[in-house]
Amino acid sequence: MRTFALAAPMSVFVSALAVPALAADDAPAVVNIPAEGSVSESQGLEAFQRIYEVASHPRCANCHVDDRNIPMWSGPSYGETRPHGMNIKAGESRIGAEFLPCQTCHITSDDLDTEPHASPRFGIEWQLAPVEFVWFDKSALEICEQLKDPDRNGGRDWMGLVDHLIHDASLNGPVLWGWNPGGTREPAPYSLQQHVDDMIAWGIAGQPCPTE
Amino acid sequence: MKLTVNGTEHDVDVEADMPLLWILRDELNITGPKYGCGVAQCGACTVHVDGMAVRSCQLPASNIEEGAEITTIEGLGQPGSLHAVQEAWVEHQVAQCGYCQSGQIMQAAMLLDFDPDPSDEKIDAVMSGNLCRCGTYVRIRAAVKSAAAKLNEA
Repeated sequence: MRTFALAAPMSVFVSALAVPALAADDAPAVVNIPAEGSVSESQGLEAFQRIYEVASHPRCANCHVDDRNIPMWSGPSYGETRPHGMNIKAGESRIGAEFLPCQTCHITSDDLDTEPHASPRFGIEWQLAPVEFVWFDKSALEICEQLKDPDRNGGRDWMGLVDHLIHDASLNGPVLWGWNPGGTREPAPYSLQQHVDDMIAWGIAGQPCPTE
Repeated sequence: MKLTVNGTEHDVDVEADMPLLWILRDELNITGPKYGCGVAQCGACTVHVDGMAVRSCQLPASNIEEGAEITTIEGLGQPGSLHAVQEAWVEHQVAQCGYCQSGQIMQAAMLLDFDPDPSDEKIDAVMSGNLCRCGTYVRIRAAVKSAAAKLNEA
């Protein structure tokens, strides 16, 4: 195994210093690249299953929605699944510019913690994920194919996806927030480090997808 | 920290995590913005920061940028020269108890700043985050349309 240094300005470490609320074991995300051929297809599929559990978790999927541009409220924090309250429409801008901007309530702050029931926040402007990145209500196979498709993943190969995770987390963005959502919200499963490790393992294994 | 509210610069000594609403009400005695829920669920605390409506209960002092222009209901218009939205609110007698109305008016004013001729769907979408326990929503929509007409005549 070798430790892979990302090109500047990214760092192989995601410092938690700017996020005092983080638990110590969430502090760094290290990029360790195993040797080519060292991850079997079955191990890659196991890694993808964990990736799917993260991507389909409410902390991630609620804002990875389709072209109706309506964020969702789902998961144990919300009870039954329903569209975001207050008749919220994020519009084609995906930031609410055509209606009520997300930032009216979701302020930009490096302090990810919030009171229960208060608007969650993170270190970049609150927004829906690009419309091509639909995860809400999608199967493992559908999400796998989307993550592999440069036309629907921001033009990234698997290392680009890892870079994206590290970079977004370094900005205290939604990736880091998923595991530190504040209030009484349930965090995404596993950890940022595990998610980065799984993305790498899945990539090294050749990005295998489940059959259904 | 220094902040400008309704055109007047203030110097306040507050904790970094004090929300803007507390600064306005408790430090500056500007009590038009109201405390409703404290968690951005009701909109009663809505003010403008650099022209954008925000829920002031959610904006800590540390996140207010140096030089930001803050406008509250007290600075939107004056008794002799009301803002078109305020005039429309009087004309339609929108308020019942009135508690939510400063937030409603500030949200409506921003809506018309960005869209001078909003559709009913857009009014509903933008104003749905401002709750009114008296249920004045029909009058709110009518007043927004009246204000839009006044602004478009001007």
